[in-house]
Amino acid sequence: MKKQITLTVNGVKRELFVASNELLLNVLRDHLELTGAKYGCGIGECGSCTVLLDGEPILACLTLAMAVDGSDVVTIEGISGSDGRLHPVQESFLNHGAVQCGFCTPGLILTGKALLDENPQPTEGEIREYIRGNLCRCTGYTQIVKAIKDSSVKGKA
Amino acid sequence: MEKSQYHAIGKTSIRKDGISKVTGHEIYTTDVVLPRMFHARVLRSSFPHATIKTIDTREAEKLGAVCITPRDVPNLRYAERIVTIPSKTFKDRQVLTHTPRHVGEAIAAVAAETEDLAEQALSLVRVEYERLPAVFDPFEAMKEGSPLLHRTILFGQDEIKVKNNIAASREIVEGDIEKGFKEAEIIFEETFETGRVYHAQMEPKSVVCQPEADGGITVWTTTQTIHNVRQLLGEIFNIPLSRVNVKKVALGGSFGSSIQMNSVVPIGVALALKARRPVKLVSSREEDMYDHCKYPSWIQLKLGAKRDGTLVAGHMKVIIDIGAHNTQAYPLLGCMAGWWVSLYRLPHLKFEGRAVYTNKVPACAMQGFGNPQVTFAVESMMDMLAERLEIDPIDLRLKNYVGLGETFWGQGPTVKSIIRSCGVEEMLRKGAELVGWKDKFKREKKEGVIRRGIGMARGFHTSGAGAPMAGEVIDYSGSIVKINEDGSVDFLTALMDLGGGTLDALAKIVAEELKVPLDKVGISPVDTRTTVYDVATHATRGIYCGGGALHKVTGQAKTKLLEFASRILQAPPHSLKMEVDEEAGQGMVYVDGVQGRRISVGEVAKTAQINNWGTIAAVDSLRQVSCPPCFMAYFIEVEVNTETGVIKPTKALAYADVGQVVNPDLARGQLFGGLYRGLGYALLEDTQYDEESGELTSGGWITDFKMLTANDLPEMDNIEVHFTDTYEPTGPFGAKGIGEAALNPVAAALANAVYNAIGVRFKKIPITPERVLEALKGMEKRND
Repeated sequence: MKKQITLTVNGVKRELFVASNELLLNVLRDHLELTGAKYGCGIGECGSCTVLLDGEPILACLTLAMAVDGSDVVTIEGISGSDGRLHPVQESFLNHGAVQCGFCTPGLILTGKALLDENPQPTEGEIREYIRGNLCRCTGYTQIVKAIKDSSVKGKA
Repeated sequence: MEKSQYHAIGKTSIRKDGISKVTGHEIYTTDVVLPRMFHARVLRSSFPHATIKTIDTREAEKLGAVCITPRDVPNLRYAERIVTIPSKTFKDRQVLTHTPRHVGEAIAAVAAETEDLAEQALSLVRVEYERLPAVFDPFEAMKEGSPLLHRTILFGQDEIKVKNNIAASREIVEGDIEKGFKEAEIIFEETFETGRVYHAQMEPKSVVCQPEADGGITVWTTTQTIHNVRQLLGEIFNIPLSRVNVKKVALGGSFGSSIQMNSVVPIGVALALKARRPVKLVSSREEDMYDHCKYPSWIQLKLGAKRDGTLVAGHMKVIIDIGAHNTQAYPLLGCMAGWWVSLYRLPHLKFEGRAVYTNKVPACAMQGFGNPQVTFAVESMMDMLAERLEIDPIDLRLKNYVGLGETFWGQGPTVKSIIRSCGVEEMLRKGAELVGWKDKFKREKKEGVIRRGIGMARGFHTSGAGAPMAGEVIDYSGSIVKINEDGSVDFLTALMDLGGGTLDALAKIVAEELKVPLDKVGISPVDTRTTVYDVATHATRGIYCGGGALHKVTGQAKTKLLEFASRILQAPPHSLKMEVDEEAGQGMVYVDGVQGRRISVGEVAKTAQINNWGTIAAVDSLRQVSCPPCFMAYFIEVEVNTETGVIKPTKALAYADVGQVVNPDLARGQLFGGLYRGLGYALLEDTQYDEESGELTSGGWITDFKMLTANDLPEMDNIEVHFTDTYEPTGPFGAKGIGEAALNPVAAALANAVYNAIGVRFKKIPITPERVLEALKGMEKRND
């Protein structure tokens, strides 16, 4: 049985017909063709599907689309400026060599952004604690932690 | 050429796929969507060993699903990895099987309009199994009367019988070990064990297949080698290669997991051919964990040395539990011998290796291809020997390492070459100085709940598998380079970038050779139709072999460019020089010493077009005739909590010899990543089995497999990385590899540090908290 829901996705209001068992991840990837949020495990273990729901990082693979009717969703495609200018966290990931295969990158950038929105000057320990649910197999996290830490410093300046 | 003159090589730049990756626009296999696409699911064996009596797909088909069973796929045995020459390749796999040999092996598959419908259809397929006895321990498996997994397999074209589940064995002898051990003044022997680690690459293995109107097939898939996938699909489905096209797409990590053609690929193709619709098949994480793992090892090592520390003889016996299929065990054993004998000089040696079938997930390459296993054993032994001789472990290594000018055969006995660049001494001496080794490394008993220790280990990996002689391993690359009419350059290569920045390095090689700005070099999206053969991105070969081939081809394009420029500038080609003009955004050609005779690469190319001289382009292949070792050393400090058994790595220093560094920040990334995965290998990661059900005890969950997170690693200021000042004369602009070298010695360095902290020598990894507590308890008992 499909039902109509309304989501604001990256600032645009969307009316969508979704099945009761449809996940937010499928709605984003299959209905809206926003493939930046990745399917890495489907059961909330890896964080590759992270998106921001009303500003909070959530796992889109564990979230029923119907349950978030009326919410504001931001995906990786929605954080750069309309002129194409990158968000400071995106910029910082590039400058620190924090991107390798890139599969975990959208989730980690959004998690990093959410942390900085909440706590603009996190300590290294706070960054590591906040991102520990986002798995990355390539980088060993060092350059990712540096990238988030450095964009917090830049954000302040 | 002076290094300081490089404008691209060794300079930090934003990776070319970076913006696409940070904005979510990069397309991976899992993101590919085609019109009228079906979604597929695979029916996998619930039992570790069985024969299928019946499969009934009628109910599933009533739902509109397309179903395939072993009867619907070509009945042939293949090897999913085809890097070894055909006559030395073992083949024991089928697309779908009547005789599943591990839990999770594919039996049947369905495709339908939606994933939901495919899942429903899958649940309606009825299978009647007859369970067969299974065996999980390789030593049990070799005993007479043990259940036999494969009665026969193919070796090349020949059908051969399998005896006692031994899939492959190798014996390699140099010198005379009896004589060698007689000369030895100290002889000792230890046994080491390493785990069955899951690759845990972030993108699950996937495939999208489009059947073409001409009977061909187009494929997007997670792979490290598009050409080998193409050749295997052509062979299995009997389609001319000109109608099999494999597209290159970004790969969400690999670490060896996609070194072979993944088992989902021919299943997807068979479904698409039957359905006459595009089919997408994405593995679940559970399916992915049931697909492949790292080779676990059991290594018995006997070493003989003189009292002054000179090694004189060695005997290594290796047993590898390869699981249900032989992916590449024969070359693995050869390489393990090679990793061993290329670390330290051994005048007399014997290697005996056996690869054994068990009813477990098939093992395959995973970062290091036997090297982390061997290095763990050898580098633990070197520390033990140093302690017995009461000498510094670094001095012992310096005395015995295989270095400059010596012959080595890292990739096995048929891949021999000479070492022409070597930073071992620099990394050991300077590394020791930087960490304060002399003050920190003390062989004394530590007290207290938290005990600190320091350890080190060294290692290497080869840059590819090239050698003067052809040998048993295929290793060459090819490229196409063309100079566009505005002075920008396109290059086409089948070489994959697994995330490490290989293709950025290649772009820098082109920019440097043609003296064009880096941002004018484009990496073309390609497929098997538009590229020449490249074996695979594996064996730490990307920059050295793939980059070496591209360097050669770029040089050919440059020759043509200079010939055209010489017509315009009216001076012979050999009087022409090139330089980069970043302001003009062009490479420039000029007559050395003559004012005013200067023209941009773009003007040359445009003039060539207007005058109908033709496109400035080249295509060729290159086999490197050596595979230079990229050396590596780690110094690791740990804190061991003797109450909880938890080992915390607190500090690490990585020192690498990669020849000329091409991408500084990405090369550092390889070291950070290698350290992380090495620590996981040493401390935590393993897959275990319930021998009743044959299932993984993790159930296919990452959480229960256990990986280190961002929270479990040394702080960023406590990880230092350094590169030696070396130049590889046979590499493109002096470069060699790094990838696997960055992981190989980590486990040994960690285990050596743990020994230094608590006096317990762990010969089995992972060193879990449980094992630490057990060992400490054992030690207390002995002291009572």
